[in-house]
Amino acid sequence: MIKLEKYMEVFPKSLWVTTCNSGSCNGCDIEIVATISPRYDIERFGMKLVGTPRHADVLIVTGPVTKFMTKKLLRIYNQMPDPKAVVCVGNCGASGDVFYKSYNLDGPVDRIIPVDVYVHGCPPRPEAIIEGVAKAVLKLESLRGEHQKVGEGQ
Amino acid sequence: MGKVFTGFGYWDVGAWIIFFVVAAFYVLWLRYQGRSDYKKGTEQDEIYWSGNETPEDGDGLTVPASSAYWGFRKALEPFYDRLVGMHTGIATDILGFYILVTAFMAAIILFV
Repeated sequence: MIKLEKYMEVFPKSLWVTTCNSGSCNGCDIEIVATISPRYDIERFGMKLVGTPRHADVLIVTGPVTKFMTKKLLRIYNQMPDPKAVVCVGNCGASGDVFYKSYNLDGPVDRIIPVDVYVHGCPPRPEAIIEGVAKAVLKLESLRGEHQKVGEGQ
Repeated sequence: MGKVFTGFGYWDVGAWIIFFVVAAFYVLWLRYQGRSDYKKGTEQDEIYWSGNETPEDGDGLTVPASSAYWGFRKALEPFYDRLVGMHTGIATDILGFYILVTAFMAAIILFV
């Protein structure tokens, strides 16, 4: 527990983000790439895109979750260490958008994993994605408080 | 004791043991810096394999050299075919080639 709290202390300084394309047209993913590239540059805020969920604090999900991706998305979510937050980027992930009646969907995302922040748009602008991830920080902050309370109770 | 003089310098067992102890200290220290609060026995403890189930069989985890170097192998096919043709698989032949190549390189170094 001491070890966890030690890491929680440094949490607000840096947020590591990973992404999962659950069947997106790639539009949202291109906007995420724009978010990490020099024009928007989320690293200014201490955020960083990482290649594995095992290092991530926030999971950004794009796409309406096709049947092919359901188990994979769930596994990626489960592989993230606690505390974690999920940001759903794009209309597809939030509601299925134009694909909402498709036979091939298990989504939207919140049917598979708990979502903390929805970023709407088709695709959303990088500013909106940055705002969404910043809101995820608030969620993680509250989780941090909960973990600390649990730590005190022990 | 424990020292082998090569003519160019020496090879010391004690120095190597000290090196490995120092290296092991740094490796273990780096490892200790990692997070230890993973939930053991859950998926948090498993290898990330792009969201797929981690293959039990080791073969599924690696790309064979024949796949990784396919283009390289194809481009140098005449060269490789000749090498494979020369390869008998007999240890004395391999050693003979080794001695010949070493002698050839020594001749280049000494006389050229």
